Amino acid sequence: MSFTQPKEEKEIEEALVKDFQAGNPDAYDKIAELYQKKIYALSFNLVRNQMDAQDVTQEVLLTLFKKIHTFQGKSAFSSWVYRITLNASYMKLRSKKKEPNISIDELLPSFNSAGYQQEKIQDWSENSESLLFTNETREVINKAVGLLPEKEKVVFLLRDVEGLSTEKVSEVLDLTIPAVKSRLHRARLFLRKKLSGYFEEYSSQKGEA
Amino acid sequence: MICCKECIDLLYDYIEGSLDQNTSKSLEEHFEECPPCIAFLNTYKSTTTLCRDTLNQIEIPDEIRRTLQSFLQENRDQQEKK
Ligand SMILES: [Zn+2]
Repeated sequence: MSFTQPKEEKEIEEALVKDFQAGNPDAYDKIAELYQKKIYALSFNLVRNQMDAQDVTQEVLLTLFKKIHTFQGKSAFSSWVYRITLNASYMKLRSKKKEPNISIDELLPSFNSAGYQQEKIQDWSENSESLLFTNETREVINKAVGLLPEKEKVVFLLRDVEGLSTEKVSEVLDLTIPAVKSRLHRARLFLRKKLSGYFEEYSSQKGEA
Repeated sequence: MICCKECIDLLYDYIEGSLDQNTSKSLEEHFEECPPCIAFLNTYKSTTTLCRDTLNQIEIPDEIRRTLQSFLQENRDQQEKK
Protein backbone atom coordinates (compact mmCIF):
# COMPACT_ATOMS: atom_id res chain seq x y z
CA MET A 1 0.00 0.00 0.00
CA SER A 2 2.71 2.39 -0.98
CA PHE A 3 1.69 5.97 -1.60
CA THR A 4 2.75 6.88 -5.07
CA GLN A 5 1.03 9.93 -6.35
CA PRO A 6 -0.78 9.28 -9.62
CA LYS A 7 0.47 11.54 -12.38
CA GLU A 8 -2.87 13.20 -12.87
CA GLU A 9 -3.20 14.06 -9.20
CA LYS A 10 0.26 15.55 -9.26
CA GLU A 11 -0.64 17.77 -12.19
CA ILE A 12 -3.82 18.99 -10.50
CA GLU A 13 -1.80 19.79 -7.42
CA GLU A 14 0.84 21.67 -9.38
CA ALA A 15 -1.86 23.70 -11.10
CA LEU A 16 -3.44 24.53 -7.72
CA VAL A 17 -0.10 25.67 -6.35
CA LYS A 18 0.49 27.89 -9.40
CA ASP A 19 -3.02 29.37 -9.09
CA PHE A 20 -2.50 30.07 -5.46
CA GLN A 21 0.88 31.66 -6.08
CA ALA A 22 -0.87 33.87 -8.60
CA GLY A 23 -3.20 35.05 -5.85
CA ASN A 24 -6.31 32.92 -6.28
CA PRO A 25 -7.79 32.32 -2.77
CA ASP A 26 -9.98 29.42 -3.89
CA ALA A 27 -6.86 27.50 -4.82
CA TYR A 28 -5.61 27.89 -1.28
CA ASP A 29 -8.87 26.55 0.15
CA LYS A 30 -8.54 23.50 -2.02
CA ILE A 31 -4.94 22.96 -0.99
CA ALA A 32 -5.94 23.29 2.67
CA GLU A 33 -8.75 20.80 2.17
CA LEU A 34 -6.43 18.36 0.41
CA TYR A 35 -3.72 18.48 3.02
CA GLN A 36 -5.31 19.14 6.37
CA LYS A 37 -5.94 15.49 7.18
CA LYS A 38 -2.39 14.50 6.33
CA ILE A 39 -1.00 17.38 8.35
CA TYR A 40 -3.22 16.58 11.31
CA ALA A 41 -2.49 12.84 11.27
CA LEU A 42 1.28 13.21 11.05
CA SER A 43 1.40 15.87 13.74
CA PHE A 44 -0.94 13.86 15.96
CA ASN A 45 1.34 10.84 15.72
CA LEU A 46 4.24 13.01 16.81
CA VAL A 47 2.72 15.22 19.51
CA ARG A 48 0.18 12.65 20.74
CA ASN A 49 -2.65 14.93 21.71
CA GLN A 50 -5.54 16.56 19.89
CA MET A 51 -5.12 20.13 21.06
CA ASP A 52 -1.45 20.23 20.13
CA ALA A 53 -2.14 18.58 16.79
CA GLN A 54 -4.80 21.21 16.13
CA ASP A 55 -2.35 24.00 16.98
CA VAL A 56 0.26 22.49 14.70
CA THR A 57 -2.24 22.05 11.85
CA GLN A 58 -3.35 25.68 12.09
CA GLU A 59 0.20 26.85 12.16
CA VAL A 60 1.12 24.77 9.13
CA LEU A 61 -1.91 25.98 7.17
CA LEU A 62 -0.96 29.55 8.00
CA THR A 63 2.66 28.96 7.04
CA LEU A 64 1.57 27.51 3.69
CA PHE A 65 -0.49 30.63 3.14
CA LYS A 66 2.25 33.06 4.08
CA LYS A 67 5.20 31.27 2.56
CA ILE A 68 3.74 29.95 -0.66
CA HIS A 69 5.72 32.54 -2.64
CA THR A 70 8.95 31.00 -1.29
CA PHE A 71 8.05 27.56 -2.67
CA GLN A 72 10.08 27.12 -5.83
CA GLY A 73 9.11 23.65 -6.89
CA LYS A 74 12.57 22.16 -6.49
CA SER A 75 11.03 19.31 -4.53
CA ALA A 76 7.45 18.09 -4.64
CA PHE A 77 4.91 20.38 -2.99
CA SER A 78 3.88 17.57 -0.66
CA SER A 79 7.48 17.14 0.52
CA TRP A 80 7.50 20.82 1.37
CA VAL A 81 4.25 20.45 3.33
CA TYR A 82 5.60 17.43 5.24
CA ARG A 83 8.76 19.31 6.13
CA ILE A 84 6.81 22.28 7.48
CA THR A 85 4.60 19.89 9.45
CA LEU A 86 7.60 18.12 10.98
CA ASN A 87 9.24 21.41 11.96
CA ALA A 88 6.07 22.73 13.56
CA SER A 89 5.55 19.43 15.44
CA TYR A 90 9.11 19.47 16.75
CA MET A 91 8.73 23.07 17.90
CA LYS A 92 5.62 22.00 19.78
CA LEU A 93 7.39 19.05 21.37
CA ARG A 94 10.35 21.15 22.36
CA SER A 95 8.10 23.45 24.35
CA LYS A 96 6.98 20.47 26.44
CA LYS A 97 8.79 18.31 28.91
CA LYS A 98 10.49 15.47 27.17
CA GLU A 99 10.40 11.88 28.28
CA PRO A 100 13.84 10.33 28.27
CA ASN A 101 14.51 8.28 25.18
CA ILE A 102 15.45 4.68 25.69
CA SER A 103 18.30 3.26 23.73
CA ILE A 104 17.23 1.43 20.63
CA ASP A 105 20.29 -0.83 20.69
CA GLU A 106 19.14 -2.70 23.76
CA LEU A 107 16.11 -3.87 21.87
CA LEU A 108 17.82 -5.01 18.70
CA PRO A 109 18.10 -8.77 18.20
CA SER A 110 21.00 -10.52 19.86
CA PHE A 111 23.13 -13.29 18.39
CA ASN A 112 25.71 -15.73 19.67
CA SER A 113 29.28 -15.65 18.42
CA ALA A 114 28.38 -17.85 15.45
CA GLY A 115 25.70 -15.38 14.43
CA TYR A 116 22.69 -17.43 15.46
CA GLN A 117 19.64 -16.15 17.30
CA GLN A 118 20.02 -16.24 21.03
CA GLU A 119 16.49 -15.73 22.24
CA LYS A 120 13.49 -17.89 21.75
CA ILE A 121 11.41 -16.42 18.95
CA GLN A 122 7.68 -17.02 19.16
CA ASP A 123 5.52 -16.58 16.11
CA TRP A 124 2.56 -14.55 17.30
CA SER A 125 1.72 -13.24 13.84
CA GLU A 126 -1.17 -15.67 13.44
CA ASN A 127 -3.15 -14.46 16.46
CA SER A 128 -2.31 -10.80 16.13
CA GLU A 129 -5.16 -10.15 13.68
CA SER A 130 -7.82 -10.93 16.25
CA LEU A 131 -6.12 -8.70 18.79
CA LEU A 132 -5.81 -5.73 16.51
CA PHE A 133 -8.99 -3.98 17.40
CA THR A 134 -8.87 -4.23 21.16
CA ASN A 135 -8.17 -1.00 22.97
CA GLU A 136 -5.38 -2.64 24.88
CA THR A 137 -3.51 -3.58 21.73
CA ARG A 138 -3.94 -0.12 20.35
CA GLU A 139 -2.59 1.30 23.56
CA VAL A 140 0.44 -1.01 23.45
CA ILE A 141 1.19 -0.04 19.86
CA ASN A 142 0.83 3.67 20.51
CA LYS A 143 3.10 3.40 23.51
CA ALA A 144 5.72 1.42 21.60
CA VAL A 145 5.78 3.97 18.77
CA GLY A 146 5.95 6.73 21.35
CA LEU A 147 9.11 5.17 22.74
CA LEU A 148 10.93 5.19 19.41
CA PRO A 149 13.80 7.68 19.25
CA GLU A 150 12.87 10.70 17.08
CA LYS A 151 15.20 9.86 14.20
CA GLU A 152 13.70 6.43 13.72
CA LYS A 153 10.16 7.50 14.57
CA VAL A 154 9.86 10.10 11.85
CA VAL A 155 11.10 7.70 9.17
CA PHE A 156 8.69 5.06 10.41
CA LEU A 157 5.71 7.46 10.40
CA LEU A 158 6.38 8.77 6.92
CA ARG A 159 7.25 5.47 5.28
CA ASP A 160 5.19 2.81 7.04
CA VAL A 161 2.25 4.83 8.34
CA GLU A 162 1.80 7.57 5.73
CA GLY A 163 2.95 5.20 3.01
CA LEU A 164 5.44 7.52 1.31
CA SER A 165 8.03 5.89 -0.93
CA THR A 166 11.59 5.52 0.30
CA GLU A 167 12.70 8.13 -2.26
CA LYS A 168 10.11 10.60 -1.05
CA VAL A 169 11.09 10.12 2.59
CA SER A 170 14.70 10.75 1.67
CA GLU A 171 13.62 13.99 -0.05
CA VAL A 172 11.49 15.18 2.87
CA LEU A 173 14.15 14.45 5.48
CA ASP A 174 17.16 15.19 3.30
CA LEU A 175 18.63 11.76 4.06
CA THR A 176 20.32 9.26 1.77
CA ILE A 177 18.27 6.23 0.72
CA PRO A 178 20.49 3.80 2.71
CA ALA A 179 20.01 6.00 5.79
CA VAL A 180 16.23 5.89 5.37
CA LYS A 181 16.32 2.11 4.99
CA SER A 182 18.53 1.51 7.97
CA ARG A 183 16.48 3.77 10.25
CA LEU A 184 13.28 2.12 9.14
CA HIS A 185 14.71 -1.34 9.71
CA ARG A 186 15.85 -0.37 13.20
CA ALA A 187 12.44 1.10 13.96
CA ARG A 188 10.70 -2.10 12.86
CA LEU A 189 13.08 -4.26 14.90
CA PHE A 190 12.46 -2.10 17.94
CA LEU A 191 8.69 -2.23 17.52
CA ARG A 192 8.73 -5.96 16.83
CA LYS A 193 10.55 -6.52 20.08
CA LYS A 194 8.13 -4.33 22.01
CA LEU A 195 5.06 -5.98 20.52
CA SER A 196 6.55 -9.44 21.03
CA GLY A 197 6.65 -8.88 24.76
CA TYR A 198 2.96 -8.09 24.74
CA PHE A 199 1.74 -10.79 22.36
CA GLU A 200 3.85 -13.54 23.91
CA GLU A 201 2.48 -12.76 27.32
CA TYR A 202 -1.01 -12.73 25.89
CA SER A 203 -0.70 -16.11 24.20
CA SER A 204 0.87 -17.73 27.26
CA GLN A 205 -2.08 -16.50 29.33
CA LYS A 206 -4.45 -17.87 26.79
CA GLY A 207 -2.61 -21.19 26.87
CA GLU A 208 -2.95 -21.48 30.60
CA ALA A 209 -6.62 -20.63 30.70
CA MET B 1 25.02 -20.96 4.56
CA ILE B 2 24.21 -17.56 6.01
CA CYS B 3 23.68 -17.12 9.74
CA CYS B 4 20.69 -15.61 11.56
CA LYS B 5 22.37 -12.24 11.92
CA GLU B 6 22.89 -11.92 8.19
CA CYS B 7 19.38 -13.18 7.64
CA ILE B 8 17.88 -10.44 9.79
CA ASP B 9 20.08 -7.77 8.22
CA LEU B 10 18.64 -8.79 4.86
CA LEU B 11 14.97 -8.88 5.91
CA TYR B 12 14.20 -5.34 4.85
CA ASP B 13 15.43 -5.78 1.30
CA TYR B 14 13.93 -9.26 1.13
CA ILE B 15 10.45 -7.92 1.88
CA GLU B 16 10.95 -5.08 -0.60
CA GLY B 17 11.92 -7.67 -3.17
CA SER B 18 15.16 -5.87 -3.89
CA LEU B 19 17.62 -8.71 -3.22
CA ASP B 20 19.45 -10.31 -6.11
CA GLN B 21 18.47 -13.86 -6.94
CA ASN B 22 21.43 -15.56 -5.28
CA THR B 23 21.10 -13.72 -2.00
CA SER B 24 17.38 -14.29 -2.00
CA LYS B 25 17.96 -17.98 -2.54
CA SER B 26 20.45 -18.37 0.28
CA LEU B 27 18.06 -16.50 2.55
CA GLU B 28 15.27 -18.90 1.70
CA GLU B 29 17.59 -21.82 2.35
CA HIS B 30 18.25 -20.39 5.77
CA PHE B 31 14.52 -20.10 6.43
CA GLU B 32 14.03 -23.74 5.58
CA GLU B 33 16.41 -24.77 8.28
CA CYS B 34 15.69 -22.13 10.87
CA PRO B 35 12.15 -21.89 12.31
CA PRO B 36 13.13 -19.01 14.64
CA CYS B 37 13.99 -16.86 11.63
CA ILE B 38 10.67 -17.69 9.97
CA ALA B 39 8.93 -16.65 13.18
CA PHE B 40 11.04 -13.50 13.12
CA LEU B 41 10.11 -12.77 9.51
CA ASN B 42 6.40 -13.27 10.17
CA THR B 43 6.35 -11.10 13.25
CA TYR B 44 8.51 -8.44 11.57
CA LYS B 45 5.91 -8.20 8.81
CA SER B 46 2.99 -8.25 11.25
CA THR B 47 4.57 -5.47 13.26
CA THR B 48 4.50 -3.15 10.25
CA THR B 49 0.92 -4.03 9.40
CA LEU B 50 -0.34 -3.73 12.97
CA CYS B 51 1.32 -0.39 13.58
CA ARG B 52 0.18 1.01 10.26
CA ASP B 53 -3.42 -0.09 10.73
CA THR B 54 -3.49 1.35 14.23
CA LEU B 55 -1.87 4.71 13.53
CA ASN B 56 -3.61 5.14 10.21
CA GLN B 57 -7.02 5.46 11.76
CA ILE B 58 -6.52 9.06 12.77
CA GLU B 59 -9.30 11.31 11.57
CA ILE B 60 -9.70 14.96 12.39
CA PRO B 61 -12.36 15.17 15.14
CA ASP B 62 -15.44 17.14 13.99
CA GLU B 63 -14.90 19.86 16.50
CA ILE B 64 -11.34 20.43 15.36
CA ARG B 65 -12.44 20.33 11.75
CA ARG B 66 -14.89 23.14 12.48
CA THR B 67 -12.21 25.14 14.29
CA LEU B 68 -9.89 24.75 11.31
CA GLN B 69 -12.65 25.78 8.96
CA SER B 70 -13.36 29.02 10.79
CA PHE B 71 -9.64 29.61 11.15
CA LEU B 72 -9.27 29.43 7.38
CA GLN B 73 -12.32 31.66 6.87
CA GLU B 74 -10.97 34.28 9.25
CA ASN B 75 -7.64 34.22 7.54
CA ARG B 76 -9.36 34.74 4.22
CA ASP B 77 -11.53 37.60 5.50
CA GLN B 78 -8.43 39.33 6.79
CA GLN B 79 -6.74 39.02 3.45
CA GLU B 80 -9.73 40.38 1.61
CA LYS B 81 -9.88 43.45 3.83
CA LYS B 82 -6.34 44.35 2.88
ZN1 LIG C 1 18.09 -18.15 11.62
